[in-house]
Amino acid sequence: MMTALTRRDFGKCALAGLTASAWAQPAAAVNRSFISGVQFGLQPFCYHDLAMNRENRPTLVKRLVQNGFGMVELHATWCEPRFDAPGVSAEMAREKLRNWRVTTPVDYYRNIKKEFDDAGVTIFTYWVGINETYTDAEIDATYEAAKALGAKGAVGSQGLAVSQRLVPFTAKHGIFTGLHNHDNLSDPDALSNEASFDKGLAYSPNFKATLDVRHFTAGNGDCIGFLERHHERVSSVHLGDRRRNNGRSAPFGEGDAPIIQILRLIRDNRWPIVALLEFEHGTLRTGVEEVQLMFDYCKRALA
Amino acid sequence: MSRCQVVCAAILVTGSLWAQSAGTPGYDINYIGPRMADPILQHSKEMYVLYGCTYCHGLYLESRGEATDLMHSRLVGRDENANLIGPLLRAGIPQTAKLSPMPQFSDLSDQQISAIATWIHYARQQGRYKELMEGKDLSSGSAEAGKAYFERTCISCHSMPGDLTRDPGALRASILRPKFLDTPASWQIDRLRDTKTAAARERHLALLENYSADDVANLIAYLSVK
Repeated sequence: MMTALTRRDFGKCALAGLTASAWAQPAAAVNRSFISGVQFGLQPFCYHDLAMNRENRPTLVKRLVQNGFGMVELHATWCEPRFDAPGVSAEMAREKLRNWRVTTPVDYYRNIKKEFDDAGVTIFTYWVGINETYTDAEIDATYEAAKALGAKGAVGSQGLAVSQRLVPFTAKHGIFTGLHNHDNLSDPDALSNEASFDKGLAYSPNFKATLDVRHFTAGNGDCIGFLERHHERVSSVHLGDRRRNNGRSAPFGEGDAPIIQILRLIRDNRWPIVALLEFEHGTLRTGVEEVQLMFDYCKRALA
Repeated sequence: MSRCQVVCAAILVTGSLWAQSAGTPGYDINYIGPRMADPILQHSKEMYVLYGCTYCHGLYLESRGEATDLMHSRLVGRDENANLIGPLLRAGIPQTAKLSPMPQFSDLSDQQISAIATWIHYARQQGRYKELMEGKDLSSGSAEAGKAYFERTCISCHSMPGDLTRDPGALRASILRPKFLDTPASWQIDRLRDTKTAAARERHLALLENYSADDVANLIAYLSVK
């Protein structure tokens, strides 16, 4: 791909790359998954055969490199221990996790960051399922952990009420809070459509949309219109495919999400919106094979 | 067998084992498991995986997050030939308090819906068998409750369970999974016309999906002293 570019083209791409990857990259480095003007990353939930736990983190790093990714949205379970075990009640396991979070030194997370840095993978965002059971100390520790990982934001599917609670934490720690949507249109607290994003984003200038285009499409939302109107408040898109009307997940190109148009919109407007690949459609292939297919689909969309 | 034949056989066996463990391109053997002897079940499993059911409900119905636990769902237990699962799959559950609503699968064919339901039932039967075999103390059952259960549920076919073993452990295994259930399915016309065996099979598999640990302990208490 690079060999087909003229020097002038390469200069343009590099410039766009510096803009798009400015979230996470020092100016001199171009991320390996910065492709044709779009910074790609992975939501590694896609590796369905790889349990998301600390023990599998080295395998995750290897797979990211194997699939050609230089950016990731890291779910907390890749970093945190599990305390559920036979004979341990759910409440007891939750309390142990809470204690672990508030007592774990930041160096623990810095070491994890180094594992990814050494492999040339930037942790763009830290995914945490913050909910009403979190104490203030726990939320504070979570944002501290995200910063230590080098993440530019902490992202989750929390509803509007919990999001409001995060306003002082995101301001204190100087990283953004990502609001991620599903397609639950019946719950007034859920992030699901443009109106709910309007509400959530109004809580704080530090809040950004993590627009899940699969769920937004399934909720009959207009992804293109949303990006046109809100691109300055969008940090990333979760890029995958689903069918409208609460339809099922589908392989890229077989659902109703306008994946190609979204990628071209990001590229042609040089928006610093990271495209995080994610899929939930079923496959008989390995996670690595399927991720590669999806990534190649995106590369063709920008060729 | 000549030495050459032995060597050839060893190569074939090794090759076959390697193929099983390494899988084939496009088939994630580590995730989906080795191909099953019964091609209908294998197809059903693949449909279940292909339409993304595993992400929320687990390949072997392991309970995950907020998704319905299909291993213990009453609806699944009452389902016959996808008569309840099918409509639910087609419509989804858009109105829900859960974070992510169950999607609708309205574009799937009847065959595909049927295959998904087949896998759900098979996985549930395997899981419930394991769960009940590892279950509670067998001596805790009530013979009286077992008698009531037997007369309510079993007596239409099993009027004289006199040939049953008295060993509680073996009795539990034969209650949960009578040996005839393990007979491989055949498509010979005379076997297909054997509606009595087919009905018994359906009935026992449905019971397996719905027995409680108490039901089993009570039946053992009743049958082991009979």
